[in-house]
Amino acid sequence: MYKISRNLLFAIVISVIIATMALDQFALKEKLLPPLGYFYVFFSVFMLFYFVYPLYRNQRLTLYYWERTRKNKLAMLGLFFIVFLIILAIAGPFFTADPNYVNFEEKNLPPLGFTTSQSVYDRDTGSLRNAEIRGTWKHPLGTDDKGRDILAMIVSGARVSLQVGLVATFIALMIGTVIGVSSAYFGGAVDNVLMRFTDIMMTFPFFLLLVFIVFIFGADLTLIILIIGVTGWTGAARIVRSEALSLRTREFVLASRALGASDTRIIFRHLIPNVMGTLIVIATLSIPGVILAEAALSFIGLGDPTVASWGRILNAGQDNLETTWWVAVEPGIMLFLTVLSFNFLGDGLRDAFDPRSEL
Amino acid sequence: MAGKKASMGGYIARRLVYSLLIAWGILTITFLLLRLGPGSPADKYLANIAASGRVRDIAQVQAAIDARYGLDKPLYLQYVDYISNLLHGNLGWSLSTSLPVTELLSKHWIYSFELIFLSTVFAVLIGVSIGIYSAVKQHTKADYAVTVFSFMGISIPNFWLGIMLILVFSVKLGLFKTYYDTSLPLFSLGNLKAMTLPVITLGSGMLAGYSRYVRSATLDNLRKDFVRTARAKGLPERTVILKHVFRNAMLPVITIIMLDLSGVVFGGAYLTEIIFGIPGLGRISFNAIFADDYAVVVAVTLIGAMVTLIFNLLTDIAYTFLDPRVRYV
Repeated sequence: MYKISRNLLFAIVISVIIATMALDQFALKEKLLPPLGYFYVFFSVFMLFYFVYPLYRNQRLTLYYWERTRKNKLAMLGLFFIVFLIILAIAGPFFTADPNYVNFEEKNLPPLGFTTSQSVYDRDTGSLRNAEIRGTWKHPLGTDDKGRDILAMIVSGARVSLQVGLVATFIALMIGTVIGVSSAYFGGAVDNVLMRFTDIMMTFPFFLLLVFIVFIFGADLTLIILIIGVTGWTGAARIVRSEALSLRTREFVLASRALGASDTRIIFRHLIPNVMGTLIVIATLSIPGVILAEAALSFIGLGDPTVASWGRILNAGQDNLETTWWVAVEPGIMLFLTVLSFNFLGDGLRDAFDPRSEL
Repeated sequence: MAGKKASMGGYIARRLVYSLLIAWGILTITFLLLRLGPGSPADKYLANIAASGRVRDIAQVQAAIDARYGLDKPLYLQYVDYISNLLHGNLGWSLSTSLPVTELLSKHWIYSFELIFLSTVFAVLIGVSIGIYSAVKQHTKADYAVTVFSFMGISIPNFWLGIMLILVFSVKLGLFKTYYDTSLPLFSLGNLKAMTLPVITLGSGMLAGYSRYVRSATLDNLRKDFVRTARAKGLPERTVILKHVFRNAMLPVITIIMLDLSGVVFGGAYLTEIIFGIPGLGRISFNAIFADDYAVVVAVTLIGAMVTLIFNLLTDIAYTFLDPRVRYV
């Protein structure tokens, strides 16, 4: 009974959000939220309804998985860093300077604890002289060649990376699940058509396809997220399909069909909840790939030029390696740690969800 | 035996037909994406003409260009043109370099090939050895070290690794040039040295992945009955590992290497070429993007997909010869 009411409630909430968005985009003069913001609201609501709530309802199962995941120290380390990153991305921008604030008076400052020798303009004599420049507390991670604070850029880059990683993966998994489940459940011609389409999409090297589409349609963060989501579902579709294929012949599905359950009910009540564990693992392991793809796009100059993505900082840092090495080092470390954390966590979750693995 | 051969031939024929179908799908999707996009290949050209101020009636120029590129025809005819041009090996004209795209590609593909080939050799040699080593020494410090190392190798963004290698080995230590020297002859020691950093950049992620696959495949096989039999026969451990375990473990690994080579490696090679200035296909596509040179970008994307397709086909066919257990359905 609760299932129907939850779906209904979800439908109502989503319609309210869509109505607000339509009103906002077309009627109101002052925009409440950018399109990406609505994306985010939709994503959060969905997760709340279909991820957080089931976890809360099945407390015993949740605790069981949690205990299993907790035994993996590297996974916990990854989780710790991801939580830190999320807090940084949400709260950080309120405490740091404007990442786009250009100040040539304070350009090329090294990070705290480092000194560099640079030629600086001396106002008194009106000539250039060599001086030792020290990192300051004002810019703990230093500044780039335009005097922008790197800490601020990294914090706002964390927001971009997480947005891209979470939302694009979410879209990709939605598409992958729909295609995988319908392919497995309906079989025959549907399966054939969908899987052949998946094969075609898989034959494009992912990054080349991404570059190609961004080149054609232009670089805007929302668009890039959409493009990654719409092209990155193939792996998930295949895994979900094979999972669903084996589930379809299991006794509980047969029993529920014998009891007269409809296709929709079997799909939503039995197939999807049972591939949820796999989906969570796929999600955790695809997020780093997505974050890297966006960073790589920004790095080669195809990213959204209006946002301070880690890839964009890296791109700027690459040109001045001789003088300001830290501009290229710092965002890369963040990128590396983020990807490493998601990989650690994903690996731990995979072991925890796999009943055959002994921990 | 005869039955098996016949079914194998049929299987290969089916795979061929099926690959042609995928190739057609790739061309169609590329065409649709191009037509759906807001820009046109002639935009930059038109903008230049308009900016020069020599032409009064820009609409006339537009019409002339559309006619030249066949853009004034109905969509299905454009599609027919597009496919037939590609079938004739005509990839179009590169506006930014004023060369036929095929000529441009034939000049530059060797650099991509060189990078990918050397990186693969590097990654396979080292990845397979440390994978087997860590499986044989499971639960030792060396095994854990390999596991952590491969996690890091998989997680490190290869474009960042490239920059860091340049920073340390070229800028600080001065061991290598910061940019690839195109004047070097392709088969020379100097060129091999110049390729060192790019190969490490592209190869390290592959290496880490392979060592993980090889490790788990070896562990799987170590537990098999035939290994116990081989040991019971009194074969030396070395022979057991190399002859029995290694051969069986390599089958899935070969598939992964072949599939990886197409999907993951192209993206990595693209970025590596850009960082080190290697004039391969990735680099010319990168230059073409910023010159709005559609034909080149399309050609490189198509080549990437086609090479992947051929690799997948070859993997499947190779598998039928390598593994007698594969059934041809």
